[in-house]
Amino acid sequence: METKNLLNVKINGISYKVPKGSTILKACKEAGVDVPTLCFMEEVSQNASCGICVVEVKGGKSLIRSCITEVFENMEISTNSIKVREARKMNLELILANHPNDCLNCLRNQNCELQTMAANMGIKEGRFVRTKPMDLIDSSSLSITRDPNKCILCKRCVNVCANTQTVYAIDIINRGLKSKVAPYMDKGIGNVACTNCGQCALVCPTGAITEVDNTSEVWNDLQNTDKVVLVQTAPAIRVAIGEAMGMDEGALVTGKMVSALRKMGFNKVFDTNFTADLTIMEEGHELIKRLTKGGTLPMITSCSPGWIKFVEHFFPDQVDHLSSCKSPQQMFGALAKTYYAEKMHIDPRKISVVSIMPCTAKKYEAKRPEMMGGYDYWKAKMNLGEDDKFYDIDHVLTTRELARMFKEAGINFAGLPEEEFDSPLGASTGAAVIFGATGGVMEAAVRTAYEVVVGKPLPSLDLKVVRGFEGIKEAELDLNGTKVRVAVAHTLKNARTLLEQIEKGESPYHFIEVMTCPGGCLGGGGQPIPTTWAIRQKRADSIYAEDRNKGLRKSHENPEVQTLYSEFLKEPLGHLSHELLHTEYTKRGYFV
Amino acid sequence: MGANTAIAPELAAADKTKIDAIVKKFKDRQGSLLGILEETQKQNKHSYLAEDVLSYISFKTGVPLTRIYSVVTFYSFFNLKPQGKHNIIVCRGTACHTKGSKSLLDDVAVLMGGEKELEGGEPSFTTADNEFTVRTVACFGQCALAPVVAIDGVIYSNVTSLQLRKLVSKISKGRN
Ligand code: SF4
Ligand code: SF4
Ligand code: SF4
Ligand code: FES
Repeated sequence: METKNLLNVKINGISYKVPKGSTILKACKEAGVDVPTLCFMEEVSQNASCGICVVEVKGGKSLIRSCITEVFENMEISTNSIKVREARKMNLELILANHPNDCLNCLRNQNCELQTMAANMGIKEGRFVRTKPMDLIDSSSLSITRDPNKCILCKRCVNVCANTQTVYAIDIINRGLKSKVAPYMDKGIGNVACTNCGQCALVCPTGAITEVDNTSEVWNDLQNTDKVVLVQTAPAIRVAIGEAMGMDEGALVTGKMVSALRKMGFNKVFDTNFTADLTIMEEGHELIKRLTKGGTLPMITSCSPGWIKFVEHFFPDQVDHLSSCKSPQQMFGALAKTYYAEKMHIDPRKISVVSIMPCTAKKYEAKRPEMMGGYDYWKAKMNLGEDDKFYDIDHVLTTRELARMFKEAGINFAGLPEEEFDSPLGASTGAAVIFGATGGVMEAAVRTAYEVVVGKPLPSLDLKVVRGFEGIKEAELDLNGTKVRVAVAHTLKNARTLLEQIEKGESPYHFIEVMTCPGGCLGGGGQPIPTTWAIRQKRADSIYAEDRNKGLRKSHENPEVQTLYSEFLKEPLGHLSHELLHTEYTKRGYFV
Repeated sequence: MGANTAIAPELAAADKTKIDAIVKKFKDRQGSLLGILEETQKQNKHSYLAEDVLSYISFKTGVPLTRIYSVVTFYSFFNLKPQGKHNIIVCRGTACHTKGSKSLLDDVAVLMGGEKELEGGEPSFTTADNEFTVRTVACFGQCALAPVVAIDGVIYSNVTSLQLRKLVSKISKGRN
């Protein structure tokens, strides 16, 4: 580095050279000096509202917030003087004065930045009295719960929602003591245009935004001997649940996860990867049909429910671009209550399907009114009435909720043996597991579509151009002389860019994959906290490792999917597929 | 920003035309959102910004609804409810609070029959005949003169309950 871009500073008496333009916080970090922070989050928020990061600067009148102040030449910084420590402690006590004393009752207990900070600073009881009135808890959403009383106004959620997702569902309202995070008119986040992605919950330092907790419903079903309780696990769980159970970041724990789920009492442990392979069969054929017989292009993937809701709210005129395929979660539910129920002679009303998802939006997707394929299938056959109505998916748990249940059950996760998924909804190929990373659905679709059209396998199954965390990736494929242009986007901000192109009639693509969350499902709003880019990378590495190690790596080679077609569905895009595996979308305004 | 629905919100045609003109007038100006909101409120008979009006402004300007709501709740100047012909604003800052501004507020509220219409736990209302609006402000910044009440834009200092009653009855002459 050129020296002219370096500044001389002293941190706690020791001289360092630090890059011009760095904040004090960054300079300290690079020098190996830790400054505690609470509201600050790299690349997300710099709201400077907590005052925990204060340092003393020689010659300065008051203490300075290191997260927003830049260093200057010959700055002398002290990060650990008595004055600094006392100020930090007082700032924290002021925050705690308005904070409910409710850790035992809080979903973030033992994984809370505020709690950790208080413990680190040795704060045991509050010195100050509450100055804010208590606020109501917002439980209007199927996906996230907001408890404004636990909010420290760091603005991370507001920024993620606006900058990463371009949804702008929440903002700070009012001023002074009345300021708080709220949706439009404080209507309840479930009543406005929110995509239910849960990215706000993933960055929140406290329990002010959390996933809706559905663990007790699942415990109830597990205890109910009348129920046959089936569980399915999404591709991105196997690379994240280990982490939540104290193992290494990104640890690949497929077999242990299966055995833990059996221990908890699920009657069958199945895999969403099975229906991920099935999605490729249906979606691949849908694409080929649109390309050869005509249909709206580009076609865009539909596995990510936050993305679907985003299009419905903000681009209602473009819904025809979405593939009509249900997501793998919903295909699984529909088949569990039809194909599986029939094959095993079980009354579909007795089946409870639990999904383990990396995603808070899946909770909402499961309760969309059109997600009752099983009921519609049996209605006439079993003479069912309105009162018998049932959803295809009964409960959706995020990775975080599953970890809580494992802990509650006293499962020693790391020490468990490896077990296999049950049959017939448990087999999968390498193409399915990569659904968990951005670019994975595209890669899986190409592996199959190429072979269907060209008649021979892709020369190399690793489609590296669509891997990695680049915001928008593109590629061009040659399918027997037809050039097919594809693009892959993750985060709704990047998806918006591609949609705006479509809106203007300028999209050069035929097929687009969109995942709502940064990095794809492995970075979903229901994943373990923290989820940083380094952690996302480790989860992605494990996902591609599982793909490499699978004997079968192309969806159409999945033997159980082949059986499903021969025994039940007959052919991709056939009549039953249409009834059970495909769906329709709703044009929404801001509030619907 | 375009963070809005493509579906136009419903609003009376006359109001749409009015807002269209205002948005046009402020086009490309610095701080245009504040200007648009201010002008729209000024042109409203009861000097407030209704929900469908905000939706329409958001639709026209592309500024997300939450950002607009953030702005209108930050400045005490904006009203989200119809305002009476006269307004009585009681300061609820710390200094005024210590000097008894809560009982001043409760007094006027009872006097005008609005003691049950609360916002954030405190009376805030417009009388049914649209004559009076009573509301609070976080702080007027006149703490030395506490307690402070503003009536139709005029600031009164060291206000007592009796004095407040007199001031109110002066402007409510002719009203039952
Ligand atoms: S947010 Fe943190 S500090 Fe607050 S109650 Fe929950 S665990 Fe405790
Ligand atoms: S769930 Fe997603 S869209 Fe909704 S408020 Fe949170 S970040 Fe925004
Ligand atoms: S809800 Fe959480 S992320 Fe949002 S401002 Fe409050 S503490 Fe920060
Ligand atoms: S971390 Fe700097 S003010 Fe909160």
